[in-house]
Amino acid sequence: MENVIEIKNLTKSYGKSRGVVDVSLKVKEGDIFGFLGPNGAGKSTTIRSMLGFLKYKQGEIKILGLDSVKDHEKIMENIGYMPSEAWFYPAMRVSEVIKYAADVRGGDYTKEAERICELLKVDTHKKIKELSLGNRKKVSIVCAMQHRPKVFIFDEPTSGLDPLIQKKFFGLINEYVKEGATCLLSTHVLSEVNKYCKNAAIMREGRLTMLDSPKIDDESFLKFYEDEEA
Amino acid sequence: MKRIFLGEMKLNLKTTLLWSFVVGILGFVCTMMYKSMQGDMKAMADMFSNMGAFSDAFGMSTLSIATIEGFFATEVGTVHGLGGGMFAAILAIGILSKEEEGHTGEFLFSLPVSRIKVIAAKGICVFLSLIFFTIICALFYALGFVMLNEEVPVKELVIFMLMHFIMNVEVASICFALSSISGKNRMGLGIGIAMMFYVYDLIGRVVPSMKDYLFLGPYSYTNASEIFAGKEISKEALLVAAVVLLLGIVFAFFYYDKRDLAS
Repeated sequence: MENVIEIKNLTKSYGKSRGVVDVSLKVKEGDIFGFLGPNGAGKSTTIRSMLGFLKYKQGEIKILGLDSVKDHEKIMENIGYMPSEAWFYPAMRVSEVIKYAADVRGGDYTKEAERICELLKVDTHKKIKELSLGNRKKVSIVCAMQHRPKVFIFDEPTSGLDPLIQKKFFGLINEYVKEGATCLLSTHVLSEVNKYCKNAAIMREGRLTMLDSPKIDDESFLKFYEDEEA
Repeated sequence: MKRIFLGEMKLNLKTTLLWSFVVGILGFVCTMMYKSMQGDMKAMADMFSNMGAFSDAFGMSTLSIATIEGFFATEVGTVHGLGGGMFAAILAIGILSKEEEGHTGEFLFSLPVSRIKVIAAKGICVFLSLIFFTIICALFYALGFVMLNEEVPVKELVIFMLMHFIMNVEVASICFALSSISGKNRMGLGIGIAMMFYVYDLIGRVVPSMKDYLFLGPYSYTNASEIFAGKEISKEALLVAAVVLLLGIVFAFFYYDKRDLAS
């Protein structure tokens, strides 16, 4: 399969407010796709539409060749999603959250979960409510990766993570991508896109523009933001 | 779905046990008070039964509070009716909306499970929690009778608990539907709904012109005095309950499956 993610003419609005307008996007198998854009540009709306959190009436989204609405459950079996804010049930322990995600997925991913926990130094005995944002994000990484999905969708994954963990996180992504996984990486950090992404697109005011190359300089990058402000 | 259901049961276990024990023990203590008040009860019962519409409202014209059944119906009927209604409302009104309020929906709905299955798991959790609540309270109330060396009125007590369980499920289904709309836990609204139904029933029994419309409220078929006096339960009221229950559940399934989830 060539296109793992395929979005055609997606339009999503919130009442009279603009969400995304006529977004079309293709992410190829094995790609690490950078998804850039200022706050409120529509990155999260696109991602949340892909995951079925938002219901859209115009456009079409296919993931792994399956329709994102009709085949939602089947698609989610092969997706590892990490939201920008990592929230879990506060009373649960880290180990319980990881097990919960694995149980709902119907598999035993203990080995992989332990490996990632060890690498990222995740304290599995602590309760979620005792964790900082950075540590909650580490739990989110484990939940997104333990089942070795075919597609990763990350929404600003590195905010709140220290540089060492960020490095380990991208190390893990590269490892999975080498094994055939595909990754959509929504971020504000240009250096991440420059360093790790093979292709990239930028969103502005709900519209998507493909970039010729993910290797863009700071000035060109900031121009997108300035244009938005103007 | 099984895992989500079990997780939900675990998350709600403390609340369920707390409400069951608090309401159950309150009812038990009320029952136990009967012995200490029994001596003065005769005169009091005569007085209470002659208070016109207010005696009707609290069921004291139907059943004498000088008897254990009458005392139980008047005292525990109020405690269990209000406590059960509030518990059902609080439990159901937050069961779906808490995922969005606590932002845990991003985690839950990123797993391979449909919204329909999540609603079903949570709905079953509310239903089972109300069964546990009913059983625990019933045991406390029965214990009250036993401790007083009184015969447990099994048939009446079972009908009383069953009617209250149906009322709790009806209130819960309304709140469940509201939970599917809201992205925030509206606990105050839930308590308000339970209280409103209780007050509606109370006023309906005091104001003669409203008596014909009592069956619309869920407390109409839970009146303890009527149950312990052996009066027939209004079929219209139970039919309304069934319709409301069904509408609440269908609405929750339909609406929650179609709407956008807040981040």
